[in-house]
Amino acid sequence: MTPAPLSSPGLFPERPAPLEEACAAGPRDAAALMAFALSRRLEGDGRPVLMTATRAWLGEHGRPYGPGLPGTSLILAPVNTAAEALWTLEQALRSGAVSLALGAVDAATLTQTRRLDFAAKQGGCVGLVLPRGLDGLSAARRRWRISTLASAIDPDDARAPGAARLTAELVRGRGERAGAWMLEQDDETHRLRLADRLADSGLAAIGHAGAPSGLAA
Amino acid sequence: MRARRPASPPDPALDPKNPFALILKNSRGAAVIHALNPAARAVGLRRGQPQADALAMIPHLICKPADPEADARALTALAVWAERWSPSVSVDPATEGLEGLFLDVTGAAHLFGGEAALLAQIRDRLAGAGARARAAMGPTPGAAWALARWGEAEGGECIADEENARGLLSPLPVEALRIDDRTLTQARRFGLKRIGDLYPMPRAGLARRFRDGDGVGLVQRLDQALGFAGEALTPVRPPPKYRAWQAWMEPVGDIEGVEARLADLTADLSAPLVRDGQGAKALTLTGFRSDGRTTSLSVRMGRPGRDSAVWLRLFREAGLGRLELGFGLDAMMLTADEVEAMTAWQGALESEAEAKQAESLAALIDRLTARLGEDRVLTAEPADSWLPERAERWRPALGRSPAAAEGDARRPILLLDPPEPVEAMAELPDGAPVRFTWRRLSRRVTRSDGPERLSPEWWRPRPDGRQTRTRDYYRVEDEAGARYWLFREGLYGREYSGAAEERAPSWWMHGVLP
Repeated sequence: MTPAPLSSPGLFPERPAPLEEACAAGPRDAAALMAFALSRRLEGDGRPVLMTATRAWLGEHGRPYGPGLPGTSLILAPVNTAAEALWTLEQALRSGAVSLALGAVDAATLTQTRRLDFAAKQGGCVGLVLPRGLDGLSAARRRWRISTLASAIDPDDARAPGAARLTAELVRGRGERAGAWMLEQDDETHRLRLADRLADSGLAAIGHAGAPSGLAA
Repeated sequence: MRARRPASPPDPALDPKNPFALILKNSRGAAVIHALNPAARAVGLRRGQPQADALAMIPHLICKPADPEADARALTALAVWAERWSPSVSVDPATEGLEGLFLDVTGAAHLFGGEAALLAQIRDRLAGAGARARAAMGPTPGAAWALARWGEAEGGECIADEENARGLLSPLPVEALRIDDRTLTQARRFGLKRIGDLYPMPRAGLARRFRDGDGVGLVQRLDQALGFAGEALTPVRPPPKYRAWQAWMEPVGDIEGVEARLADLTADLSAPLVRDGQGAKALTLTGFRSDGRTTSLSVRMGRPGRDSAVWLRLFREAGLGRLELGFGLDAMMLTADEVEAMTAWQGALESEAEAKQAESLAALIDRLTARLGEDRVLTAEPADSWLPERAERWRPALGRSPAAAEGDARRPILLLDPPEPVEAMAELPDGAPVRFTWRRLSRRVTRSDGPERLSPEWWRPRPDGRQTRTRDYYRVEDEAGARYWLFREGLYGREYSGAAEERAPSWWMHGVLP
């Protein structure tokens, strides 16, 4: 399920809101979701990232892996229940000690997300809830749907996966236009940035043909 | 000073007027009386008597099997409970059947209204908790031991000090010196019945005659009782340097009441720490129940602190509701189990903003740890290993500062540990896969990169005893654009030649890449 061509988006809201929500479009998009989630913090913010998830979530998707998370110091809180995860998120956000607090929490209610939003504003942190879907009500300022994309072309080896790419679809934003953006991981800084518009042709080519070697030149 | 436990555990179902005995098999396999109640003692039974003899004398004697291990456990629990009177309580290990507790109350008696009042309180509290006890106070453990068991003053308090200890001990039987049976028999043979009989004896002769035996010699025991020789006691819990203590008349049976009083205790404990420039890294709250049990709750901190409000909050997170209050607590004690100088923490950090940031992070980790437990607030520590799953170790974040790992875009963002088996098809036996099935979904590989060969760590044998094998890692992308980290375990040719007893190389999914 490839999202519609990245249609007429406005400016990509690079600056994170206090509380956002992001979900993976499908089971294959967990890694893209994780990469997107970790990018929702201010550049140069040296505070650590806290992640809380139930053991079931960690068992299903795997655990965050330090060597794959450059420049991120991570505190992981494996919890048993969603209530514990929400409590942990709120504590972390309110303390102001972390740059970003991620919580793989399903079915947080409107009241609970309001609490988180308030705590994030109070502590000056970014909170990101990772639910399974975006059906319920939420106080999150932005709600994203993330899906993975074929990678950019590696200039050295056309047969190898290149820089990681993903689509971030803003499903709902408060006072913002919905839209979708293609993001690409920077090899040097490992941060996500807007992909080069010129790359679109390459993307289309990869999507249709199995051998993109001719287009790589 | 010591309090003595009754010979048998109190059982309300049994009338104290009925003779009752606990039976234990001795080393020769014969059932003998291990402990007995006053009624049984009154009709002429004694410890060590064979059960058959006892039953012949008293046919209606109630016998029950003894459980020395449970007795020891109960005695240790009682020792912790007795910390309400002294920070240093030890269990008397030496004499079976004459067990007791030693409380070092040096300099503490005035807190309870004097020595006599303290002894009375100990006896009353123990009686209230269902334990009949005798208590006495002496200048040495030996003197207190003797007076508590053989002291005459049943009604009054048996209190000895340096001056009158010699006189008070003099009429007591020699067994009050904690000597073994052999020494006792020998002493009786010499006509030495009372401790006073020993006073005029020449020490050299006494020492020569009573030097052997398994236990401590007679002369040394005498010296220990009279204070000529020292005696070290091992407390059940190391006495804390900082402790705050509060007791009240009416038992507190609800958590709110405990919390309100805990606020006072934290303030009391914080003051001496501030005075000494110390901070606590671990605290234990011990509640003393009126039924002779204790209940406790501990919190730990990553860095030393002395802010009573923070402590109170940590205890709340740790769950004051986990305290088992029973019929109520009549005293509470807060101890600093681990103490560290505060100054060491202040110079270590550079700017004020950084220091504040580090402090709020430590406070957050403390709070999460108090509620969730130490093993559920983790941070990764890089480890020295080639194997990806061993390259980092998740450790309790308490007391550590999380550090960023050195990153590599070719490593997965989510690692599956343990790796999951996949069915893969490759064009060449040792080539990259072209198609694979993972979690029952078949995927076509559009692009791949590899192999990245990781040699086995031959010095670390696998738990199942099989040989560790080479891994060839591939980064692959499927037709939907998802990226995976796969590896083939084992090499064709070298580690697998097709022989039946060898395992064919197999494919595993180890993680997903963004």
